Amino acid sequence: METSERKLGKLFLAFAGICVLALPAIVFWALSYGPDEIEAAMVKPDQTTFDENSGAIFVSHDELTRAYLEGTSNQRTLEEYYSRRQYPGSPPWIPHKVEDESRERIACLTCHEKGGWTEEMKKYTPVTPHPENTYCRQCHVKMEVEGNFVDINWKSVQPPRLGRSHLPGGPPPIPHDLQMRGDCVACHVGPGAVEAIRVDHPSRGNCRQCHVPDSFAGVFQR
Amino acid sequence: MKLDRRSFIKLMAMNSAATAAATLFPGVIFGAWKTVDMASGGLVWKKTPCRFCGTGCGLLVGVSGDRAVAVKGDPNCTVNKGLCCVKGYHSIQILYGKDRIQKALVRKNGKMVEVPVAEALDLVANKMQETIQAHGKDAVAMYGSGQWSITDGYVASKLFKGSIGTNNVEANARLCMASAVTGCLTTFGLDEPMGCYEDIEKADVFITWGNNMAEMHPVLFSRMLATRKNRTNVKIIDFATRTTRSSLAADRSILFRPQTDLSVANAICYEIIRNGWVNWEFVNRHVSFHKGKTNIGYGTEDHFKFKDKAETVDFDSFKAFLEDYTPENVEKISGVPAKDIKYLAALYGDPDKKVTSFWTMGMNQHTRGTWINNLVYNIHLLTGKISSPGNSPFSLTGQPSACGTVREVGTLTHKLPHGVVMNPDHRKMAAEIWDVPVENIDPKPTYHTVEMFRALDRGDIRFMWIQVTNPMVTMPNLRRYRDGAEKEGRFVVVSEIYPTPTSDVADVILPSALWIEREGFFGNSERRTQHNDQIVPMPGDTVSNTWQIIEVARRMGYQKQFPWSEETYIEDIWNEYTRFHDSPKHRMAPYKTLKERSGVQWPFVDGMETKWRYNAKYDPACKQEDFDFYGKPDHRAWIWLRPYEPPAESPDSEYPFWLNTGRVLEHWHTGSMTRRIPILHKAMPKSYVEINPDDAARLGITNGSDVKISSRRGSLVMQAMINGRGNPPMGMVFVPFFDEKYLINEVTLDAFCPISKQPDYKKCAVKLERA
Amino acid sequence: MPVFSYLAYPEKGAKEQLLKDLSEVRYCEITPAQNEEILILLTDTPDEDSEIKLQKQLKALDSLQSLSMTFGHVDD
Repeated sequence: METSERKLGKLFLAFAGICVLALPAIVFWALSYGPDEIEAAMVKPDQTTFDENSGAIFVSHDELTRAYLEGTSNQRTLEEYYSRRQYPGSPPWIPHKVEDESRERIACLTCHEKGGWTEEMKKYTPVTPHPENTYCRQCHVKMEVEGNFVDINWKSVQPPRLGRSHLPGGPPPIPHDLQMRGDCVACHVGPGAVEAIRVDHPSRGNCRQCHVPDSFAGVFQR
Repeated sequence: MKLDRRSFIKLMAMNSAATAAATLFPGVIFGAWKTVDMASGGLVWKKTPCRFCGTGCGLLVGVSGDRAVAVKGDPNCTVNKGLCCVKGYHSIQILYGKDRIQKALVRKNGKMVEVPVAEALDLVANKMQETIQAHGKDAVAMYGSGQWSITDGYVASKLFKGSIGTNNVEANARLCMASAVTGCLTTFGLDEPMGCYEDIEKADVFITWGNNMAEMHPVLFSRMLATRKNRTNVKIIDFATRTTRSSLAADRSILFRPQTDLSVANAICYEIIRNGWVNWEFVNRHVSFHKGKTNIGYGTEDHFKFKDKAETVDFDSFKAFLEDYTPENVEKISGVPAKDIKYLAALYGDPDKKVTSFWTMGMNQHTRGTWINNLVYNIHLLTGKISSPGNSPFSLTGQPSACGTVREVGTLTHKLPHGVVMNPDHRKMAAEIWDVPVENIDPKPTYHTVEMFRALDRGDIRFMWIQVTNPMVTMPNLRRYRDGAEKEGRFVVVSEIYPTPTSDVADVILPSALWIEREGFFGNSERRTQHNDQIVPMPGDTVSNTWQIIEVARRMGYQKQFPWSEETYIEDIWNEYTRFHDSPKHRMAPYKTLKERSGVQWPFVDGMETKWRYNAKYDPACKQEDFDFYGKPDHRAWIWLRPYEPPAESPDSEYPFWLNTGRVLEHWHTGSMTRRIPILHKAMPKSYVEINPDDAARLGITNGSDVKISSRRGSLVMQAMINGRGNPPMGMVFVPFFDEKYLINEVTLDAFCPISKQPDYKKCAVKLERA
Repeated sequence: MPVFSYLAYPEKGAKEQLLKDLSEVRYCEITPAQNEEILILLTDTPDEDSEIKLQKQLKALDSLQSLSMTFGHVDD
């Protein structure tokens, strides 16, 4: 009969044996993971996401129904829009009940990819301009409590004002960054859009032929 | 304007009243009130064609007092139906740049000195006469533009060809549309498209051949998108050498290696024949087959000459010729999968699908530009898909009046307003209308554009007058031509609106009026002529290009040929010019009609526009039933057997990248106008080199880092753009040419199509290095 | 501080007279049209009493045929 000590000893020997066998394998694997493979493991930019995702506009224009494109409602205001954000461009917090607290099953896109009327909230759903990012809850969180833990002295940039056309009646330049916001249709068209920025010519399909990005470049100097 | 709240409210009150007044009394003017920032009521709206691309949108310019302050699309113009693009909407701002040239300038002791315009015009006339005396009439030259108003080109031609007697008249349209012209002439015998923009609403399939329509003809592109949305089963196929915004919008994006469009077009014809999709009824009655010379060269040497020789062949020769161009063979050279070639062929071959092909610079700025134009026409002729609504091989024009002025007035070395200098009947007609002795008109063409600048470099040309174009940015292999223009004994006159690298080399700068500061005409891609009144006054000492030429002509003794008064000269010139085109094949609309309507197409016969030429249903010039290709003596359209021939300079081990050049949406050509428009400058402040992300990673180049681009002719350091506006394939880079700080044409090659003489700006070999 | 704007239509042939009359009325700014028989009238009174007085004055003008209000703003 083996004593517990000897059992322990055998266990230890077995463990050591495994280590001895595994160690070279581990070392060999680590050394063989050379720089080339590390580069390959990085995310390569997708060929179709250049030009600030302008492809999305064309798909939306082609696939959405006329009824949706021309749909209106005056439910969403700019004030409400900015009240959900810390600064213009920050990810808005989730203002409604979220079904699955475990965060395992994320069904956000069932409503927020295509928009439309949701009976539950009795509202038109806003559409996300970046449905290709599917782990929504990494950026969009739910407010659990009102009020701050400690008061904060927070100031940020003013939201872009409306009516910035360079000429009366002309097409205003795009006042916001296009990163992750390249699909104009998502925010500016349809019943879920904020009323003040909803366009009155939604069935035109090539937004960027008239609306171009703004910048801080000064006047042209030779 | 700083406003406190009360002033703001009062301003609103005034605006409301003005708007109401304008509704009740259109055209009402409240003269005492010069406030410029007001609502759209109270403005007077006047029509004009857009100053920019060959789409030819109709604009309404809002005028307050004597300033242009707003733009609307003209809802009465069938081209754009009230829509414009960002350039059109802000085009009026080009009038108001701070460095607008408003005074004539003359170079004295190396410095440019302001002088009265009359003095400058005296100098120009004297210098021309001096040069002609000392070196002969072919030592003076005029280099004009596809942005010339029609009357500008007409008086230039009348002065140089009719009065002075030299064929040294060329225009920058040689660099943009010449291959389209020779393509039309060799296939149809007559220039300009046979279809019209209405084809866009009627077609089922759109195939763009090497052009980025979403950025270059945006309003037509929007019409295509609308057709795709409003009808079922409409497809847009983008066939190009790089991925662009148009590729993202298309249903399919098919990439090909540069120059292999020649092979793919032939392969499509091969497939059409193999599958029995040939429209025999059409081909037997309306098509004949021909071949020309091969191994035709590239024109990089001075005095390069080429004359093609046509040989009539038959369908069987055509079929045998195409045996080299099976999709499997062509896949190897072009990189286009055989199944994609078959897919394209099936679209063309399907008898139930109406197909419109669009192209611009990808096919025209090509060392075999004439050939590739012929080959795309071949596809449409083989299937009978031509000259009828929706079936349209359509060559889009780049400039607003390359058609209207350069092609229709004939401001090229071999052309006359009707016909060519080589033809005695055409010379006789010109001499009669111009009231000059027929001996004045030289029957021998002299130089095309590239040769003209070579002649300036060599000293065979000593005097050049440049109007409305910027060759010191746009000539390929630029260094030679800039050095040439700056040599001793060269006198360069530049008519300009802003200082540019071309005005920098001038001896005389004449201040020009912009398009809405004078009455004028433009003619767009679909044969539509558009008129504008003078909408705002000419600033400073500026003079219209037409009037500048008239003033110089009078000083040279040609008062009789240039008799018109300043009040009516535009109308008078139109009436004289249209005498050249008085036949149902080309008749132009009368002045009064053009003044009233937002554009009228030619041929304008018995009060009706000919929308589809060569089709007896729509074209009164047809003399036989069905189709009549009356441009050719056999009344048939010609299918040409044109082979693949390689480019002038391909990448090799030392220079492993293709250099491709072109435009972007925001900027027009060399940017001298659009960069002075704030919204456009802010949207695209500087040029860059587009590099494929994999190539960039391999070379260690990141977005925005400095890159040195070198060719055998020159080099530049520019910032890299990765995943920007477009994505070239591996082994290619793309540089837009709007930024005069980055003269990419110092790197390009002055090889050209031997038939059209149009240079190839899309293909030469460069190397990249981190700088 | 009521601010109003109107299109002022003169009696037939009385545009010059109306221009003269209105320029003598307090709190009025007049902009005549160059090529039509109308004027824009802008009134800016400091309080409601002055506004009522102004209305009475305007109604008494012989050269004024009618006023068509195009803008009204009253501060609370």
